[in-house]
Amino acid sequence: MEYSKEELKDLYDGRLTWERVKQIMSHPKDDDRFDKYIDILQERVPWPERILLPLNEHLYVVEKDGQRIVKCDCGYEFGDYRRNWKLSALIFARDDYDKLHEVFPGGRSPNPQFCEVREFYCPGCASLLKVESVPVGCPIVFDFLPDIDAFYRDWLGRPLAQQADLMDLSYDTTAQWARKA
Amino acid sequence: MSQPKGLGDGGKTLKEVLQENRRLYAETGCYAGITDPHVLQDDPVKAELFHSRIMSALISGRETCKMISGSPFVGEVAELCMGLYTPEGDNIIQSTGIQVHIRLMGDNVTWMVENEYEAEVGINDGDLFLANDPVIAGIHAPDLYDILPIFWEGEVVAWVCTVIMDMDVGAVSPGCMPATAVERGADGMKFCCEKIGSNDTIRRDFEIKIEIGLDLADLFLLDRKGAVAANIRVREEVKNLIREFGVDYFKSACREIIEEERRAQVARIRQRTVPGRFRDVVPFEIYMASVPASWLPAKKDVIRLIPMQMDILPDGRAVLDFDGVGEWGWHSFNPTPKALWGGLSISVVQTLSYDGRGNLGSLLPFEIKTPPVDSLFNPSQVKKLAMANPWPSVIDVFSLWCGMLGTAFYMRGFREEVFNYVSSSGWQLAGYDQYGNKRPMLGGNTGTFGAGASGVCDGVDTGGWIATPETDMGNAEIFEMFMPEMYLCRAFEPYSVGYGRFRSGVSVPTMDMLHRITVGIGSGAIGCAHDRIMPNIGLLGGYPGGKRNTFLIRYHNFQEMIEKRVPLIHEIGHPAEFTSQEHADVFYYDHMPPTIEIFDKEVLVCDNASAGGLGDPIEREPRLQKADLDNGQTNLDITRRVYCIEASYDEKAKEWVIDEDGTRRLREEKRRERLSRAVPVEEWWNRSRQRVLEKAIDPLLVEMYQSSMKLSEGFTREFKAFWGLAEDFTL
Repeated sequence: MEYSKEELKDLYDGRLTWERVKQIMSHPKDDDRFDKYIDILQERVPWPERILLPLNEHLYVVEKDGQRIVKCDCGYEFGDYRRNWKLSALIFARDDYDKLHEVFPGGRSPNPQFCEVREFYCPGCASLLKVESVPVGCPIVFDFLPDIDAFYRDWLGRPLAQQADLMDLSYDTTAQWARKA
Repeated sequence: MSQPKGLGDGGKTLKEVLQENRRLYAETGCYAGITDPHVLQDDPVKAELFHSRIMSALISGRETCKMISGSPFVGEVAELCMGLYTPEGDNIIQSTGIQVHIRLMGDNVTWMVENEYEAEVGINDGDLFLANDPVIAGIHAPDLYDILPIFWEGEVVAWVCTVIMDMDVGAVSPGCMPATAVERGADGMKFCCEKIGSNDTIRRDFEIKIEIGLDLADLFLLDRKGAVAANIRVREEVKNLIREFGVDYFKSACREIIEEERRAQVARIRQRTVPGRFRDVVPFEIYMASVPASWLPAKKDVIRLIPMQMDILPDGRAVLDFDGVGEWGWHSFNPTPKALWGGLSISVVQTLSYDGRGNLGSLLPFEIKTPPVDSLFNPSQVKKLAMANPWPSVIDVFSLWCGMLGTAFYMRGFREEVFNYVSSSGWQLAGYDQYGNKRPMLGGNTGTFGAGASGVCDGVDTGGWIATPETDMGNAEIFEMFMPEMYLCRAFEPYSVGYGRFRSGVSVPTMDMLHRITVGIGSGAIGCAHDRIMPNIGLLGGYPGGKRNTFLIRYHNFQEMIEKRVPLIHEIGHPAEFTSQEHADVFYYDHMPPTIEIFDKEVLVCDNASAGGLGDPIEREPRLQKADLDNGQTNLDITRRVYCIEASYDEKAKEWVIDEDGTRRLREEKRRERLSRAVPVEEWWNRSRQRVLEKAIDPLLVEMYQSSMKLSEGFTREFKAFWGLAEDFTL
């Protein structure tokens, strides 16, 4: 089973009919999907760095100068992929009823005494990258820390030239902030 | 003196069969030690025929049950399912339906095997066993498991099990899954793999116990008879298969079907996901202070945090860890570790194993680390507790798990497989119905929530009920015959939606007007666990669906409204205005209303919310929004405010028209607004950290964090590391 890049582009852009989407969902999955996916994404970004892994609608882990960093399709760079990219984003916290009601009017709103709706934007293009709805006081969630070396080496069968230790670097940043505070 | 012959393969006892297969799995990593599966591969056509014959038997057995059962839960909302199991309780094939229970039913068989039923209770051809005790394995007492052994020439070669959610098990009011229950006895009747019949016949003394003990005895017994008939039908078809294929083939093929699925599942994980660490948090709100519980320690409000982590390992396995989950409590919401497997079972068949081959092998690549003892997920006092409602936290956890997996699918390019779901809560009743019978009452209405967005299109409207993939809203007319209610609303609720580039499905609220009820009490039917805190179900830049609400409408003068033909309330309208009605008082309740008196012609409202949208809403293609406007699934307020799309209605053409320039302008303004209002995370972190240092957060949340810290060093360490707190800091 395989699909053309043109059809995959239409799929991602929401331009296929539901009947066709349903067929694609029901059929056995195509083994070359990831490579075609990366090709499509690489064609769509305005910068040359190699995409190793897309993280969401705008962010990618890319290879740059021997490092792996998170980069937005607008070009903004968030730093090492092992550090939660949210720490380098802009945040708008909906932490009172006025701010919450802008999106969740009336009874649709949670109670800001208990719940904070955090919106993370790209500082470069102001795209909304993630909405986090959590209890007040909850640490920012590090949604996904990929094991990129295992992925390329063990699953795709083509190890990357340079390896990186799999570790969460986010707390180095908050420790720095605490020292400054 | 010769040893008595066991009921298992080769004269072994079933317990010996169980131990040997577990040993072989531990030694080889392959189910039952099958390192070289070949029986199925040697003749694929024969194997396919074999599989489809069993699957057909299970599905037709399930249909048989629907014909016999009188319960609208069975006929309308598909709260039943069947499975075929190995002699030690491993699932081979499952029917469609409420597949939550597939592993749990097998756990009951395994429990019987481990507890020497073979020698101490007796397992004979035609014996009927019944189970519904979560202490052994299960979600809650209303889920009844009817279990039948399948013998061939004196040997147990398989088991067949049917689950039905029953509407009455004799619990305290309001009866089906009472939030007021906190102690075990309040749950009603529990059957610990009890033998309720022999020779394919339910014992008369068991029937008498039910006839005297339950308000809805007829429904309960019809459900049993339906399940027993279904089990017998499958058993006889299995015997036909053995005659046709041979018993050796049957035994080998059944085990290879499980091992094949295990291998296929590992291959799917490696093909469709990315290895690494996934994280999320689930807050779980339990408000018991005003619930009339006689066990007084239960009467308090608490919130519990459930951090969850999934590690997808390089070898294709996945490990789920709930370290940091807070403590258990005296309420009916504590799931057992086995109940978590129920959540995973139903989630797996809708995300990875949806080709009809789902079985135990689908779950073998997963490990759920045993949650901390005395946590919400592993209460040491489990035998003392009521277990009516462990479902809410399980739903919330696996809703987010689907989102985690969806993120992995997204990263591999399989965006069409992304989705998540949500549940809701509503009303359950007790009282005298329209026929004058005192009884518990629980409406169906399960298929009313919008499913999460996909990565390539909007989510399915009213399609977000996870427990059974095939459910719909059911026939209201059937429920109106069963309940003293009239259904007043079938309108899409645009504000229920999780907004995003692709939106979630749209939900439909339920508005049930009590009709011919006498002496009624109402209480919460808990299907979700959030009231003040919204679940974190926005996907990749999309918003979560708004908060769900529970209301009661009390008309000022109902009779006068009818006489003057004043329209009754039949939709939510703008959420900020719903509670201000001209002809009625509208009362708001949290997700678990305490027991209250209710009266004829009052209206019980469950204002559902949908799951998550995906992607930035201001990147939504205007053509999609135009379709929603034309179909009445959204309105101009949402279109402008959330999606920043300018549109107007063309009265002549009777359709909406998109203003592209206006849309561009609105979206540019929104981006400028975002940049002007947002701050660097470090700035927000400093402010928020100060609140933590000063403990300037609600006491319920302080207690929630304390509870997690009490049980987990890891959670404590990471909480302090994130907020830069000293080691000796205490909340």
